[in-house]
Amino acid sequence: MVDSSLLDAEEYRRLCDYLYRHTGMAFTEARRYFVERRVEDRMIATGSSSFASYFARLRTNLQGELESLINASTVNETYFYREDHQFACLTSNLLQERLRMKPRGETMRIWSVPCSTGEEPYSIAIWLLENWAEVDAHDIEIVGSDIDTSVLEAARAGVFGRRALMRLSRALTDKYFTPAGPEHWQIIDELRQSVRFTAANIVERAETRPHGLFDVIFCRNLLIYFDDTSRRVAAENLYESLAPGGYICLGHAESMSRISSLFEVCRFADAIVYRRQPEAPHG
Amino acid sequence: MADRKMRILVVDDANLVRLYYRQILEEAGFEVEEALNGIEALERLLVSPPDALIVDINMPLMDGVTFLGALRRQALPLSSIPTLVTSTESKAADIEAARVAGANFYSAKPVGREDLARTMAMFCGVPQ
Amino acid sequence: MPLIRNGSEKTARVLRQALPTLASASADERWSAARAARDPSDIPSLAEALVHERDARVREAIFTALARIGASESAKVVLPYLRLNDANTRTGAMDALRAMPDACHPYLPELLADPDSDVRLLACDLVRDAGGAEGPRWLCALIETEPQANVCAAAVEALGEIADTTATPCLSRCAERFPVDPFLGFAIKVVIDRLRHVSPAPRG
Repeated sequence: MVDSSLLDAEEYRRLCDYLYRHTGMAFTEARRYFVERRVEDRMIATGSSSFASYFARLRTNLQGELESLINASTVNETYFYREDHQFACLTSNLLQERLRMKPRGETMRIWSVPCSTGEEPYSIAIWLLENWAEVDAHDIEIVGSDIDTSVLEAARAGVFGRRALMRLSRALTDKYFTPAGPEHWQIIDELRQSVRFTAANIVERAETRPHGLFDVIFCRNLLIYFDDTSRRVAAENLYESLAPGGYICLGHAESMSRISSLFEVCRFADAIVYRRQPEAPHG
Repeated sequence: MADRKMRILVVDDANLVRLYYRQILEEAGFEVEEALNGIEALERLLVSPPDALIVDINMPLMDGVTFLGALRRQALPLSSIPTLVTSTESKAADIEAARVAGANFYSAKPVGREDLARTMAMFCGVPQ
Repeated sequence: MPLIRNGSEKTARVLRQALPTLASASADERWSAARAARDPSDIPSLAEALVHERDARVREAIFTALARIGASESAKVVLPYLRLNDANTRTGAMDALRAMPDACHPYLPELLADPDSDVRLLACDLVRDAGGAEGPRWLCALIETEPQANVCAAAVEALGEIADTTATPCLSRCAERFPVDPFLGFAIKVVIDRLRHVSPAPRG
């Protein structure tokens, strides 16, 4: 059979080693077809005449090429209940752990950043209402932040199309949304008013600090796009925004191993999450 | 006698070193997993603990000595996974630091093929 | 309906507004001070703080600040920490240098010729990200005469990523110089195979 692969075995290995080192994404032989198609798309998009010239471009990160390739290789749609195993972890473990450590009656604060058009913070709200038996017993604050103010506008409006709702059951859609035109649904007022949306650039400490301390931060599929320095700064800002003992969740293909050594690794049944170390007892 | 293959987690940021160890150990009948630094290693072993570890010292974000300290603070059985520490560093201080942090064995690089296979077999309690 | 309330400012724990200084007795304050340092004029105080700092987290923040400033002076301050016995600090220094490739670049030839083989080895790793167009040439020159096999191995690892097929002759010569080393021969063979089809990238 004629080998019509875009990359030969050694080029593929070279690329995989590079991607593994920089992003933590581990591609095996089994994923070769997938990776080649993404590389082919990027070669066309960048006008690269050979893999060698494309790889050189990738390595120097010309015009953010690494980010473009990552983008092309991961699912970037946002929708309700995306990666919901982390929400399961929230209600199964994280909130309980936080309650054990927090002063009684103190508000439980959850941050979704980037919140994009709101699917994630609203998902958290719905999930808590549906899955946390104690939800009525505690004050919970959910904040959604993004650097892009236009998506914040959309998030506040809370109107979503069919694709965004695809993982929600009919029962949930009926319960928490009202029809808002053909193929659109709006999240109910009660929930719309229960999430606070703010503009924030997580690389700018002046923009993260005013948000105060959170018990749980969801920062999914963002840090991997930053350069080394911005990643470090953002990680420090997120650390500072976590209460001691607070948790941070990254995207499922992301890992702190490429980002920062500030956080402790925690394994729960549903997810691996990271924690700011609790304060020492003597404070 | 164990039915399953013994699993070794190789922790080194050099892809050629990981490949080298993989070839030797797979040929010797082990299953091999890889991690690029101490943080990734902790993530992997929290999900599925290996039977033995090979850990380099110089790695980005979390070096081998720091990793060893974190490993030995885990609950059993993680904290007692036998660990071979390797290093290119020529300073004696590194050997001492590794031992204090909990290395079971220390080997200067390059690690010989037979030495590697033999040490892992010993760690995993399999006959050679 | 349950008690999900819209955020009220008073429930947020206010972050301390204490005046941060790099000389503070409190690690938190030193951390804060390091993170506020953004200007090249801050480099001397960051450098001074780095000498005395024992808290790993604060040290990392100082390294981050230096990388963020990214001046040539930043790299100069960080370089001596590559020589330390302490692996954690060495790693911090390497990570910082990797994050400022432009600042790091001019120092590489000197590092590749350092009398300490451990430093030369780390320098090979830095060349991967900071070597620019000269990287492959520098590493090829190194492996022609480098006496330490482990340093050559680090150079070979980097060449595998950044070089092209024109590096093959110097790689072969290096393999001949170390016929007994179990790893180096393996590594060179793999890299020669990898680079076989990699023609020099066309300009532009």
